[in-house]
Amino acid sequence: MEGEELGLWRSSVIGAIGLLVFLSLWEILVRTNVIDPFFLPAPTQVIDKAIQMTTAEDAVLLTDIKISATRVLTGFLLSVLVGVPAGLIMGMNPVIRAAINPIISIIRPLPALSWIPLSMLWLGIDEQQKYAIVFMGSFASILVYTTDATMRVDPILRRAAMNLGASPLQILRYVILPGALPDILTGLKVVLAIAWTCVISAEMVGANSGLGFRIWTAKEWSDTGQVLVGMISISATVLVLDILFRGLERVLLPYQNKGLGNK
Amino acid sequence: MSETLIKFDNITKHFSSRKGDIVAVKDFSLEIKKGEILTIVGASGCGKTTLLNMVAGFLTPSSGNILLDEQPITKVEPRCGMIFQHYALFPWLSVKKNVEFGPKINGVSKKMRREESAKYIEMVGLKGFEDAYPGELSGGMRQRVALCRVLANKPDILLCDEPFAALDAMTRQIMQQELLRIVNESGQTVLFITHSIDEALILSDKIVVMSVRPGTVKDIYDIELPHPGKVEVQLTDEYLKLKRQIWAMVEEEVKTSMNIVSS
Repeated sequence: MEGEELGLWRSSVIGAIGLLVFLSLWEILVRTNVIDPFFLPAPTQVIDKAIQMTTAEDAVLLTDIKISATRVLTGFLLSVLVGVPAGLIMGMNPVIRAAINPIISIIRPLPALSWIPLSMLWLGIDEQQKYAIVFMGSFASILVYTTDATMRVDPILRRAAMNLGASPLQILRYVILPGALPDILTGLKVVLAIAWTCVISAEMVGANSGLGFRIWTAKEWSDTGQVLVGMISISATVLVLDILFRGLERVLLPYQNKGLGNK
Repeated sequence: MSETLIKFDNITKHFSSRKGDIVAVKDFSLEIKKGEILTIVGASGCGKTTLLNMVAGFLTPSSGNILLDEQPITKVEPRCGMIFQHYALFPWLSVKKNVEFGPKINGVSKKMRREESAKYIEMVGLKGFEDAYPGELSGGMRQRVALCRVLANKPDILLCDEPFAALDAMTRQIMQQELLRIVNESGQTVLFITHSIDEALILSDKIVVMSVRPGTVKDIYDIELPHPGKVEVQLTDEYLKLKRQIWAMVEEEVKTSMNIVSS
């Protein structure tokens, strides 16, 4: 038994039981007033709140999710569109890499939050400002992930392609890009989660819609139920995006999970 | 048959490193005739891989010229098709797509590519594996794909950089016979590099023994053992006599090379 992998079915069942025990414990602690529901409402109360927030006439939850998701995806896609090509070029060209690296080392450690003051001064609090925050929070990481992925492509594959007559552009398109793709996608998955934290922070500081805004205003009214619904919505949305991303990986990398390895 | 395909004209190659200049190859002259299978044998560090990389155009000689059909090789030369020790297959492409890589980037029509790849895949005995990925294949099969990929690009000469060194002894023997069969079928010229005297004797029309650093021609043997190198050849007196002679020659060089490495 020790060290063995549980099957998908069994591990799902065990996972479900674990979750159920956790929720029941939480429910009991609140119902018995060990925890004050004002600070932490019980799971059933949170569910009630969620239903209310999606079905009431002025229901905003689904709109908020849509707004936040749109902001994340727009900013993230912009980052990908700029960061991936730039990373490929940096990975292939040592001169450009040497020139850009110091700038990236300055930008990369900055938390997305630290861009909020400047971005608000430049762009106000409308949509562009949210895109900008997500972009600044994810661009440098995407660039670094892509550069590293490009540099990890086995140089012997470049040689083989050159030997078969490939031009530098063909090597980029047919060798470097597909060779770096698995590592790029792994990086993008990590960065997508970071992008979410960017947008939520931006919405908490200056916005009038979105999940971050909803959580923040709920706090002002001491509506802990609504805070929790907002938080769970973030989790759920990230989970769904993650599943979609895995599907994308399976489509783009059909040769992985097959056979002995990728040597 | 007796037309010269490749001519090494007094080649010298040195590399500069922190420890100073290293002369890898010095005053190396040799001719390879069309249809010939020529093997270069030498201890590690004798510069044989450097020679091969210069024929492929990955490296340029410090002085002297390598002529292909009387024209000096100045850039990566697809007419000199390289088979790498570690296969260098594109892991994201199926067997068929790997084989079609060269024809594809050289603008051969899809229909032609299909026909050609099918022909070569059948020739190396991989029918039924067209849609497999390299990760799903054994070492011997991967090297067959690599051979196929180079042949489909119709090179004037096959450059083999110890292509069977990573295979187990039995697979290696089979692959040697397969290579001979295919080469004899197509009349392909081959420049083969190995540190196995047996491999050289089984495969070659001509064996060149190289000295160690600086690498230069130490001796040349014309091999007239019965082709295509059946296993029984290895038991004949001529074979053993040649093996003893060549080994005596190589042994000195191996000892010299060990001193270089340990000093």
